[in-house]
Amino acid sequence: MAAVDIEGLRKSYGKAEIIHGVDLAIAEGEFISLIGASGCGKSTLLRMIAGLEPITGGRISLDGRVINDVAPKDRDIAMVFQNYALYPHLTVFENMGFSLKLRNVPKPEIEKAVGQAAALLGLEPYLQRYPKELSGGQRQRVAMGRAIVRKPQVFLFDEPLSNLDAKLRVQMRSEIRALQRRLGTTSIYVTHDQMEAMTMSDRIVVLNAGRIEQVGAPLEVYDRPANIFVATFIGSPAMNLLEGRVERSDGKSIVWLGEIAVSLELPDEVRDGAAVVLGIRPEHFELDPGQPSTSALPVVVQMTEPTGAELQVYGEFAGDRIVATFRNRPALGEGETVPMRMPQSALHVFDRDSGRRLN
Amino acid sequence: MSARTINSRFLLAGKVVGVLALLFWSVGPIYWALATSLTRPADLVSKAPRFWPEHVTFEHYARLFGAESVSQGNTVQSVWPQFSAALLNSILTSLAATVLTVAIAAFGAYAFVRLRFPGRNLVFVLVVATMAIPAYTVMIPLYRLMIMMGLIDTYVGITLIYVSAFLPLALWLMRTVYQAMPLSLEEAAWLDGAGRIYTLLRIVMPLAAPGLIAAAILTFLNAWGQFIVPLVFSPTLATKPLTVLIPEFVTRNYVDYGLMNAAGILAIVPPIILVIFLNRYLVSGLMAGAQK
Ligand SMILES: Nc1ncnc2c1ncn2[C@@H]1O[C@H](COP(=O)(O)OP(=O)(O)O)[C@@H](O)[C@H]1O
Ligand SMILES: [Mg+2]
Repeated sequence: MAAVDIEGLRKSYGKAEIIHGVDLAIAEGEFISLIGASGCGKSTLLRMIAGLEPITGGRISLDGRVINDVAPKDRDIAMVFQNYALYPHLTVFENMGFSLKLRNVPKPEIEKAVGQAAALLGLEPYLQRYPKELSGGQRQRVAMGRAIVRKPQVFLFDEPLSNLDAKLRVQMRSEIRALQRRLGTTSIYVTHDQMEAMTMSDRIVVLNAGRIEQVGAPLEVYDRPANIFVATFIGSPAMNLLEGRVERSDGKSIVWLGEIAVSLELPDEVRDGAAVVLGIRPEHFELDPGQPSTSALPVVVQMTEPTGAELQVYGEFAGDRIVATFRNRPALGEGETVPMRMPQSALHVFDRDSGRRLN
Repeated sequence: MSARTINSRFLLAGKVVGVLALLFWSVGPIYWALATSLTRPADLVSKAPRFWPEHVTFEHYARLFGAESVSQGNTVQSVWPQFSAALLNSILTSLAATVLTVAIAAFGAYAFVRLRFPGRNLVFVLVVATMAIPAYTVMIPLYRLMIMMGLIDTYVGITLIYVSAFLPLALWLMRTVYQAMPLSLEEAAWLDGAGRIYTLLRIVMPLAAPGLIAAAILTFLNAWGQFIVPLVFSPTLATKPLTVLIPEFVTRNYVDYGLMNAAGILAIVPPIILVIFLNRYLVSGLMAGAQK
């Protein structure tokens, strides 16, 4: 178990810079997820930590020791690959015991360590099998087993569940989380699946095109996204965005969305006339047919989709697409104009040009 | 009968004819050699060609293995001393060339695939391009070189020539094999604490075994069938292989067809044994299960 410190980390392939100066401090025993769209540099970042990619600039340290130039084999970091990378000519037992054998651990101890890991992962009946004789989920477990047998300083996971079917994925994510809590090993988990990131992590790191957009606890990132990118990236269906203009008069501030006035508290730095983007998550709209309100958004309903647990409503306001979800199954007809209230506490305000959060 | 069944019958007939033609093409000459090696010398020269021996005889084989014989009133000496020496030479030079070539290709091709060094691809192309140079263009300079180094008629000399001739093909083959292997297996081994050489020996090579065996078979068969090189570089029985010895059964006034063909049939045996033996290790689907 070790703390991982990343400072000013850069990576270029030839002239193209892929990672543009990443700073991240990961505490000992923490489970941290790197999340971002495909191609944003998650794997590259992870592979630099593992030592599989040379570092172009910056520093990575493990418990204060800079490991930039330490060979992968001497870093004491274990990685679970997306494609598992099991040794096909070795049995499950040999796969899991490979690292211990390399360190000349005596055979009885290897057997004990592999046995314990196999028990933890439910792999005991398969120890003498070859990888090709296992199902996808079992292979995934062997890959995990190979990592935990060594008791490394850090676990790295590169989208380990992306090849499993949906049900197994949900099961494995809680298993991995439980395992990590039990072992207490610092873990860095790469995924493009926000459900995985949200449910498993102590903190999540949102990456975009080689830069960190936000770091925080899952709910913190969900409730207070630092900018428009994070706001739309985290959450599904995505947050609704509405362009507006700020009006300040005698200490009060109002955001005008066309004809609709939304009163809001804004910090003083937001000047009169500033162009902003209001954000509201689909589940935060409220229907209140009894009392028409000026700050309610008149949404023209285009389509409704009952998912069972909730009703998803797709509509339009002033040319912008609106998605709202309601749990109490309101009866909404297509083509109907429905006033949807937006509670002040649920509104996110971003600067239109920089995308930065303002409230 | 519908048009479809007629069609499929034609297809079947076509396949049968094709297979038969192929069999005739490849096995025909071997059968002819076998038949000739079992025919009496008198029947060989006097009569119209026959497709099977009228009176089966083992006298040619007997002479190869040490019996004297009488042919057209003359006593004919056994050729066992020459035959056995040449057989041993063939085996030794071919095996040595195979082991060396495959060993060098196994490591060299890995370097060409996984290590980065300036001019990597250029060097590889140059090495492989030497395959396009015909043997006779290098024969005379090579001969002078070998004389200078005192390597004419030595196992070392012959083996070196074979290795230099067959290495490019083996390198090429092994490079393709390594290129098809997922890098993540090696990366997993490095993270598990293995060094480069250990990973190469314990992870990469076992998985590349089918490629290594294919390279070994190709090299061995190539070396075993060499004629021009040993004709020039193996003047005496110190290193002379079967390919050069067998045609010498042609003397000024007598072509010993029976003996030549018997020797030829025996010369096929070692490569067949080797291929059958190695083939057992050509396990297919070895890579299955590494991923996903
Ligand atoms: N070996 C390489 N050479 C050049 N570009 C690369 C290489 N590996 C990755 N990249 C580029 O780096 C970017 C980040 O890749 P990657 O880290 O694999 O993304 P992610 O894992 O987030 O999907 C991508 O745009 C990819 O094209
Ligand atoms: Mg990736």
